[in-house]
Amino acid sequence: MSKPLENHWTAVVNGEEKHLEIAQTTRLVDVLRTHLQLTGTKVSCEVGRCGACMVLMDGEPVNSCLVMAYQCAGSDIMTIEGLHGDEKGTLHPIQQAFVEEGGFQCGYCTPGMVISTKALLDAHPEPSQEQIETGLCGNLCRCTGYGGIIRAVRKAGERCVVKETSAEETVS
Amino acid sequence: MLLNRKQSGKRWHLRPDGAPKVTGQLQYLTDMTLPDMIHGRVLRSEYPYARILSIDTSEAEALEGVYAVLTSKDVLGLNRFGIATPDQPVFCEDIVRYVGDAIAAVAADSPERAALALDAIRVVYEELTPLNSTDAALAPDAPELHKHGPGNVLHRTEIKRGDAEQAFATCDHIVTETYFTPRQMHAYMETEGGLFVPDEEGRLNVYAATQHGYKDRMQLARIIGCPEEDIRVVSSPIGGSFGGKDELNVQPYGALLALRCGRPVKMHNSRKESVRAGLKRHPMKIEMQTGMSREGIIQAHRVRITADTGAYATLGAPVLNFCTEHCLGPYAIPNVDVEGVSVYTNNGLSGEFRGFGGNQAIFAMEGQMDRLAEIMNMDPWEFRRRNMREKNDPGPLNQRILVTDGLSQVWEALDRSELWQKHQSPPADPALPPWIKRGVGAAIAMHGAGLGYGIPDPAGGRLSLNNEGKIEVAFSYEEFGQGLIATLEIMLCDLFQCSTSDLSIIIGDTDRVPHSGSSTASRSTTMAWMALQRLQTPFRSHVLTVASALSGVPADELVTGPGGVWRKGQLPAETSEVESESGFVVSYAELATQGEADEWIFDTKFDYPTTPDNVVGGHYLYTYAAVAAEVEVNTLTGETKLLDTRHVVAAGPVINPMGYIGQIEGGSVMALGFTLTEDAVMQDSRYVTTNLDTYLIPTIQDIHTNLEVEAIEDLPEGDAFGPRGIGEIGSVALAPAITAAIHQATGIWVNRLPVPREQLVRPLNVPLQEGVSPS
Ligand code: FES
Ligand code: FES
Repeated sequence: MSKPLENHWTAVVNGEEKHLEIAQTTRLVDVLRTHLQLTGTKVSCEVGRCGACMVLMDGEPVNSCLVMAYQCAGSDIMTIEGLHGDEKGTLHPIQQAFVEEGGFQCGYCTPGMVISTKALLDAHPEPSQEQIETGLCGNLCRCTGYGGIIRAVRKAGERCVVKETSAEETVS
Repeated sequence: MLLNRKQSGKRWHLRPDGAPKVTGQLQYLTDMTLPDMIHGRVLRSEYPYARILSIDTSEAEALEGVYAVLTSKDVLGLNRFGIATPDQPVFCEDIVRYVGDAIAAVAADSPERAALALDAIRVVYEELTPLNSTDAALAPDAPELHKHGPGNVLHRTEIKRGDAEQAFATCDHIVTETYFTPRQMHAYMETEGGLFVPDEEGRLNVYAATQHGYKDRMQLARIIGCPEEDIRVVSSPIGGSFGGKDELNVQPYGALLALRCGRPVKMHNSRKESVRAGLKRHPMKIEMQTGMSREGIIQAHRVRITADTGAYATLGAPVLNFCTEHCLGPYAIPNVDVEGVSVYTNNGLSGEFRGFGGNQAIFAMEGQMDRLAEIMNMDPWEFRRRNMREKNDPGPLNQRILVTDGLSQVWEALDRSELWQKHQSPPADPALPPWIKRGVGAAIAMHGAGLGYGIPDPAGGRLSLNNEGKIEVAFSYEEFGQGLIATLEIMLCDLFQCSTSDLSIIIGDTDRVPHSGSSTASRSTTMAWMALQRLQTPFRSHVLTVASALSGVPADELVTGPGGVWRKGQLPAETSEVESESGFVVSYAELATQGEADEWIFDTKFDYPTTPDNVVGGHYLYTYAAVAAEVEVNTLTGETKLLDTRHVVAAGPVINPMGYIGQIEGGSVMALGFTLTEDAVMQDSRYVTTNLDTYLIPTIQDIHTNLEVEAIEDLPEGDAFGPRGIGEIGSVALAPAITAAIHQATGIWVNRLPVPREQLVRPLNVPLQEGVSPS
């Protein structure tokens, strides 16, 4: 007997179309971690407080522990595995800045933190301190005390801006 | 030296685990899966205190997809665990003593089915009235939670010196205060879990976080009833621990289920389960009475510590020892009368936590110092200096300690700081509304490192040239985020002038590392440094002898360098692929092919340095810290905001500046939570704050972005112990600095953490409306 139709789930994950047979009430974090083996997305509080499970859904940051399969079916999802520099296998300027500035220790919050930073810098390429605080207050880190994270976000911001301006210049 | 990236220059070393962490590629042990694995879950107690009348697992066992249901009768060996005192049951037989107590465990083909199976287990309890406070547990008619009594006392401590009673009678001023500290939660982001895999050879592979893999292996062997060698424990990388994963947590269940089912079993606690079952910082009540002469010299100090250790011992006794030692602060006090008691209750489980009882003690002692200084109408920093121990004075327990200048150095550095200078003349900011008050406070601490006298504290390590031609070190330490691997890289590159690509660093795997103690008590850096000091000479001389035999160049004209051995004085300035350069003699890879592999392996074993005096728990090495904090108190809402801090730390040479700053910043923010918001609240011995939405750790909006770290790197000439660990020192002295600042801002003495906001609220001075009563 074929599976009931409503269990079919499709979405674009990190640029690739994915099809799964899963219950529509499966949480996105489980879709990613369990069904797609994308364990870069972490799980910690499961109530939308810590941000460890942050992913981009159609470009917006969401806590994947709060999104169910039916809510994200058909959307474009980007996880930490989908973020890279100009070429696959290289670090995105945000990731590079986290490494250089000590923006992580145990690293468990880091994928979520990097994703939130991506959303922040997409919206505010030159974020003020206040925008950094608002943009990242949904991501908890227990190790770093956030100092290294703030330094990393600032540096990433500078780099992204420099990059974008130079890209524009080349075009024009 | 003010520690930051700029000052650090070339020592700013990028962590080797950076790229895998920022890309999400790193597999934590809770990320691991295997195709044929099943899922384990634990049934925990419904009550904080109850008698188990019966357990019926038949319905659960009959469920489809359920592979095993285990209870106490299925424990093959010892049904108990605990690092120091194995008194915690793997599965309760007759009595449950806290809400995290385990009764049964199941393994099923999906997490959902495992949850169903838990629901199907029928346990009949006779509910008992929980001992929900230390007072209740110490009442003469209280039931005994453990047989080994007397009463519900786990441990007592005592320090008596001089004649405190008589000294108090002659004191001109006495300050009496009782301090309360919260049940803080470690709140590591990765909750407990891992994968348990039996293999074809009959061995059990445990992939689960711990701070001491060998200790886990020993305890698991005892529970399973097998030789230790039948178990391999892989225990890094770890998503945070802070002391919270040092005791066994999911390991006994994962191990027993995997052995029963003959398949890999995955366990991963939900946050709620982690809160319910896991360790917390000991809540303490510390009563202090401190008396001084007219000149402001402390004459007498009386302390009574009551620690709520919860249902089982864990490290409750050593934590109380540490608190007792540290409640005298770095002060010379002639007459001392300290008693401590650690009490069993039904309130969760207290255990090891960064600072190890020092945080509570230092909060109380420094609070006393500020109160005494105020009576003297004296600058509180100057008051501390007057009472500080001299360089050659014995330690707090009258034991000999290693002499350093650390204490006076941190005192002076903070005294000079701009932030502390503000305390003298608090800037009046006319732009602030009248209900916003600002103040500056400071505190000082000496903090012991290592486990202390009388507790086995072995260390060691292995250095070898492996058959791939890498310089390999192996330690039984763990990487839980602190940056140990980066620190080891830096140390090895310094020692051998080699490049990072010449190195292989092995930790966290009992099959591959020698016994070299745990990653606890701020000791790994010191231990690793000491081990490498011992190993470097024999290792280097073997390398150079073999290189000399191969090349014909006399050994004393050779040095180790990037890629291999070089002629002295001809090392390349920068490490790179340089074999073609003229001074290069022979590569490590080629050397490794010479002789037997064993000849390239060097081991060492020694003990962490302890005081020569017979005082149990007494430390020998101390680190020193002084902290200043500026706060802003909103007297309408009671909210306190930390504006600025400076940490001065004297812990010897800074090996890894990025790691050092990170540890102090992280410790400081953790201490901010301890001071202002964090408390795992219990009602009738059940957690009310069950997740991170009600248990509030600092967010990026709550922190002090102006945090500055100043490192004092001096050590006595010829010091044999090298850099001291700084894992804890950033977290121990912030609380009293903040409460002192609150006092300057508002005139209110806070004696309870987290700072009760309602205590800071002051009514607006507005005329009352008619008909409104003033109270
Ligand atoms: S796990 Fe989703 S927000 Fe914490
Ligand atoms: S680095 Fe450990 S939680 Fe952020």
